[in-house]
Amino acid sequence: MTKRLGRLPSIYLAVVFIILYAPIFYLIYYSFNSAGNMHSFEGFTLDWYREVLQDTRLFIILLNTLVIALLSSAISTVLGVFGALAIKGVKTKRFQNALLTLNNVMIVSPDVIIGASFLVLFAIVGMELGFGSVLISHIAFSVPIVVLMVLPNLEEMSPSLIDAARDLGASRWDVLTRVIIPYISPGIFAGFFMALTYSLDDFVVTFFVTGSGFSTLSVEIYSLARRGISLTINALSTLVFLATLLLVIGYYLISKQRTKPKEVRSVG
Amino acid sequence: MPEDIIIRFENVTKQYNSDPPVLRDITFELERGKFYTLLGPSGCGKTTILRLIAGFVQPTSGEIYFDGQEITNVPPDKRRVNTIFQDYALFPHLNVFENVAFGLRIKRMKPDVIEAKVREALRFVNLEGMEMREITELSGGQQQRVAVARAIVNEPEVLLLDEPLSALDLKLRSEMQYELRELQKDLGITFVFVTHDQEEALAMSDEIFVLNNGVIQQRGTPKDIYDEPINRFVADFIGESNIVPGIMIRDYLVEFVGKRFECVDKGFDPNEPVEIVIRPEDLRITQKDQGKLQVRVDSQLFRGVHYEICCYDEDGNEWLVHSTRRATVGEEIGLDFDPEDIHVMRLGETEDEFDKRLESYEEVRHAG
Amino acid sequence: MQDRTRTRNIYLIPYMLWIVLFVIAPIVLIFYYSLLNIDGAWSFENYKRFLSPIYLDMTLRSFWYAFLITGFSLLIAYPTAYLLTNTKHKQLWLLLIILPSWINLLLKVYAFVGILALHGPINSFLEAIGIGARQILFTDFSFIFVAVYIFIPYMILPIFNALEELNPSLVAASRDLGASPWVTFRRVIFPLTLSGVKAGCRAVFIPALSLFMITRLIAGNRVITLGTAIEQHFLVTQDWGMGSTIAVFLVIAMGLTMILTETGKKVS
Repeated sequence: MTKRLGRLPSIYLAVVFIILYAPIFYLIYYSFNSAGNMHSFEGFTLDWYREVLQDTRLFIILLNTLVIALLSSAISTVLGVFGALAIKGVKTKRFQNALLTLNNVMIVSPDVIIGASFLVLFAIVGMELGFGSVLISHIAFSVPIVVLMVLPNLEEMSPSLIDAARDLGASRWDVLTRVIIPYISPGIFAGFFMALTYSLDDFVVTFFVTGSGFSTLSVEIYSLARRGISLTINALSTLVFLATLLLVIGYYLISKQRTKPKEVRSVG
Repeated sequence: MPEDIIIRFENVTKQYNSDPPVLRDITFELERGKFYTLLGPSGCGKTTILRLIAGFVQPTSGEIYFDGQEITNVPPDKRRVNTIFQDYALFPHLNVFENVAFGLRIKRMKPDVIEAKVREALRFVNLEGMEMREITELSGGQQQRVAVARAIVNEPEVLLLDEPLSALDLKLRSEMQYELRELQKDLGITFVFVTHDQEEALAMSDEIFVLNNGVIQQRGTPKDIYDEPINRFVADFIGESNIVPGIMIRDYLVEFVGKRFECVDKGFDPNEPVEIVIRPEDLRITQKDQGKLQVRVDSQLFRGVHYEICCYDEDGNEWLVHSTRRATVGEEIGLDFDPEDIHVMRLGETEDEFDKRLESYEEVRHAG
Repeated sequence: MQDRTRTRNIYLIPYMLWIVLFVIAPIVLIFYYSLLNIDGAWSFENYKRFLSPIYLDMTLRSFWYAFLITGFSLLIAYPTAYLLTNTKHKQLWLLLIILPSWINLLLKVYAFVGILALHGPINSFLEAIGIGARQILFTDFSFIFVAVYIFIPYMILPIFNALEELNPSLVAASRDLGASPWVTFRRVIFPLTLSGVKAGCRAVFIPALSLFMITRLIAGNRVITLGTAIEQHFLVTQDWGMGSTIAVFLVIAMGLTMILTETGKKVS
């Protein structure tokens, strides 16, 4: 079904694309504006970028965001793999579906609910809000997406592979590390990436559980934006956009690399 | 000869939840170095026996012995048995070499030892030079050989094969039947082969176990099973048969389709109801009045090797004939056969009873 | 394979722990708090307040906004998805459509703050063609527009997937039997992609109910959604009881939506 698009449809698609990307380019365009506003372009300047890069507070916040993202993704990936293995290993269909539903509740829930309920949870437990609460929350809401990324791979795996491994002498640990994990590694990889984006992107949940001392990028931008226009945000946006672009391109290239058939190496 | 026995099942029953048992009180022994086939329709329990030997399931009751030692509860990774799975179960993330080396790496052998063994195994299955290939690049037949290599490189004492040829096309299947048989002879180890294809079983085995409904119906050499099926199921399952009810008038005389024929069986009670089996290839087409049976030809199929002719006699019994001569549909012909071609089966006789009956012939002979 | 019961359940332990702590407990706690009034005593006060005109009005308006947002998203997304399936390199185009959704949400909203401002480019354009500058920000229109902008990729993706799964020979069969393109769409294509439409609606409606960040930045205090109310009560007025009550209703709404948009697919 890949007939060439007619005139009208092409225009429609083009318009949609333009509207989708307009705000982003708008931001980038004005990030170079020496006038300090977003409506009249005066002169080209890199001042705003300089400000961003020299802002130590912003730098710390950026670091926080990255650390939280990487740490929470890593931990939630491990937990998510456990979860997928757990769900797969459950005997009864009913229990399996119950677990899946509970797993998916988190994904479907609006951020506000998650944020508010976690806030309550931390209050009851008596935990202080800050790095710890944000980290735990990020781990918590990333686990379900890792499970969802890994499960299809697990479902696809033929059970005779495990039998074969045991038959050849593999202990349970061997089966896990030599057979299961390598087989589901695309899912693990995808899950880690999704967890990473969830964490980097998150605003609402972090906003609820961050308390006063700790801040991530999204929360910071919100506070700045509430105060009004500031072209440092524009400069920041451009940098974030570039970073995201690199991340996506990188993911795309790596995932293509993984599915490429390996070359036949000469017999050593 | 206990040293020759490698596997022994004693009163093994397997039942899942409250479903009917998959295996009922199975007892048998397997000798070293022989090619055994477990034959039967789907659900008869043959694969379950294989999995019990491999250790993937435990019996609900009964014991399993390996080389004289009880292994009923020993996990699969500790048994000196290797399996070739129906879907081959090759690890997709490993290449050919690593697949074959898998078991050896688990045992932490030295790399140069592993390399030597893997190459040897691949040579055995005619896959030299393919070490670095990816599994996905291989054809079905090649994948099957890798599965075999992966199993035999671990030098098991028993090799279990779970319908390994079912995914191959006919020509390749026939080739592999030869190769597997040769392989078994070269290696000298016990093969336990599972299939539902009776031709395959007859072609490859030293001994066949025919199973149905969790019970061993009959065991014996291919020729024994073919020539002397012990009951209707075996007669039906192995080769084609014509089975009709009959009455054993007295020794050497049997009556069926209203006529009496000389036969070579005895040991039955006078006028005992029995079942008669005559193989289609034992029936010869003659003139209507010269045959022992009179039938009308109903349909005919050309099978290449022979014509498969379906006839009906005046009582409505169906007779299947294999003949190299053609017949005319609608024609009334006669069927001829020799007394040796009539095989008499006692209704519901089990194998043990059959053996006892044969033994009684011997005693009488010796006595007489 | 009932004989290897022991091993599997190891994975179940950490996973169940996560589920109990972060899925079950928070929801329970929310219900618990909804029954506490502002002094911390047991009461149904909060529920009574919720059923008063002010809150009911807010709730209804919230639902209305969410419907509008979902409806417009569907209207724009479906043709886009459909046209996308007809392009060459459709995966690439899809990636480009999804890419903006990875750019941090706040930045995009912030961009609109600039675009829709009184002196922003939209108004300049309107002035140029003679209509004159208008107040665009802080209106219903701007809120819905920005919300639709944010949600479009989430509506496009499931519909795209559903369209991709559609067997092209069904369309061919329909045409072969004499149906025009429009009738084919109405009676074959749309019904068969309904699961994708439902998934998209679910992915948009529930978050639309709970938006609060967009409402604050774009619509100011003109628009109050369930989300803003929850945030307000939890973080500003500290009336956790009332906040929880609203959250309970949001959860109920979420449950109803999920039931209504049930597609029957367990693992996506």
